Amino acid sequence: MSDFDQIIVGEEWENTDLSLLETLDHVLNRGLVIAGEITIAVADIDLIFVGLNVMVSSVETANEVLRRRQATE
Amino acid sequence: MSFSPENPLSAEPEIETSHADEFVEQLRCVTDSLPSRINIDAQSVEQGLAKLVLTLIEFIRRLLEKQAVRRMEGGDLSPEQIEELGLALMRLEAKLLELKTQFGLEGEDLNLDLGPIGRLI
Amino acid sequence: MRLYVYCLAEGVDRLHEAVRGVSDAEVRIVEMEEDLSALVSVYRSDDFQVSRKNALAHHEVVRSITEQTTPLPTRFGTVVTIEQLRNYVSTHHQAIKAKLAHVRGGVEMNVRMIHSIAAADISQQPENAGGPGTAFLLEKRREILRDEAGAAQKGQLSAWLREKLGDLIKEEKISITPSETVILARADHLISRADVQEYRTKMAKAVEERPEIRFMVSGPWPPYSFANIELEFSSQFGVS
Repeated sequence: MSDFDQIIVGEEWENTDLSLLETLDHVLNRGLVIAGEITIAVADIDLIFVGLNVMVSSVETANEVLRRRQATE
Repeated sequence: MSFSPENPLSAEPEIETSHADEFVEQLRCVTDSLPSRINIDAQSVEQGLAKLVLTLIEFIRRLLEKQAVRRMEGGDLSPEQIEELGLALMRLEAKLLELKTQFGLEGEDLNLDLGPIGRLI
Repeated sequence: MRLYVYCLAEGVDRLHEAVRGVSDAEVRIVEMEEDLSALVSVYRSDDFQVSRKNALAHHEVVRSITEQTTPLPTRFGTVVTIEQLRNYVSTHHQAIKAKLAHVRGGVEMNVRMIHSIAAADISQQPENAGGPGTAFLLEKRREILRDEAGAAQKGQLSAWLREKLGDLIKEEKISITPSETVILARADHLISRADVQEYRTKMAKAVEERPEIRFMVSGPWPPYSFANIELEFSSQFGVS
C-alpha cells in the first residue's frame, strides 16, 4: 500500500496536516500538463488540434487506491 | 534551503485560518477525487479519439437537455410530451455512460479546452 | 528511457545541491530551446509511487529553483520521453515564453471560503404525478438553476476580492462548488513576490468584514495554478 493511502485515512489532524493537504492539492490537481497531440486534417488541411493528457502509468495506482477505498465505503 | 528575504518562496507556504478542521475536511474531499488520467500508450490514441467524439456528443446532449427544460418551462408541452422527452433524454444519458465505459473512460471528465474561448462544456 | 518532469523554466544556471527528486532520484537540467530548460529526473516505473513523499519531493524541486527564476511547475506525475518533451516545447514555444513572462517574479496565493447557506434558494417543485422522465427533467432544471446561481456568485466574489485586494491581483481564477448546505469557493491569485505581506494584511482585514464566511488563506506558492497552457486554438486558427 502506498503512503498516499495512509495519510488520507489518518487519525490525527493538526495544522501541519492541513499544509500537507494544501501542498498535495497544488501538486496533484494543478500545474502544467504536458500534452500529446492529435491533429485531425481533411485534405491535408489541419482542422482540429486536440491536446491529450500525458500521464504516467503508475498514477493509475492512485485511481486503484481510490476505487478500492470507494468500494469499501 | 537558505532563507532569502527577496524570495518569499524560500520559506514554506503559510496557512492562515481560524477553522482548520473544516478546511481539512474539505481538502480531504479534494484529494479524494483525483481526476482520471489517460495513459498515453499506442492504445490510448484510440482512446483519445473516442474521448473527442464522446465529448462532442456530450456537448450536444447537454444542449438538448437545456432545450428540453426550456420547452418544459415554456408551458407548450403536454405532460405526456414532457414525460416522453424526459425518458428519451434519460436513455441518451445512460447510453453515453455506456459508451464511456466501453472505451475505458468511465471516470473521465468529457470536456475540451478551447483556450481563450474557454471550455466547451 | 523516460523522464519525470518537475517544471519548465528560463534562466536556470544551477541546481540546488541538497534537493532530490521523486524516488530520491537525482534532478537534472535539460536544456531546450533558447533559454528554456526543464528540470527532470530519470523515471523508473518499478520504483515510482503516488506517495506523499514523492509529491512533497516534486514540490521541493519546484521550490528549489525559485531562487533563480519563477518556473512553470508541471503537474505531479508528468512523465515523457525526451522526444515528447522536446516536441512539446518546440510546438508550444511561444505559449511557454508568454506564460513565463506572465508569471515572472510572481507567486500564487489561495483563498478558500466556506459559506453555509440557510435554505435552498431555488424553490423546490412539488412532486407531481409525472413519471421518471418528468422527474429527470425537473432534476436537470434544478441543476441548471444551480449552475446559473454559481456563475452569479463567482461574479460577486470576484468583484468583492477585487475591491479588497485591488491592484495586487495580476491574474485570478475562481471556482465555486455549491452543495445543499454549503458553498465552497476558492480564489487563486497570481501576485508579485513583493506583495505577499500586503496581500496577507488586506485579506486579514477582508476576513474580519465577513464573519459569516470561514476563510483559509495559503501561500505563497510557485504558480501551479497559472502554469497550464491551454490549447493553442487561437494561434492555429486565427481566432482571437
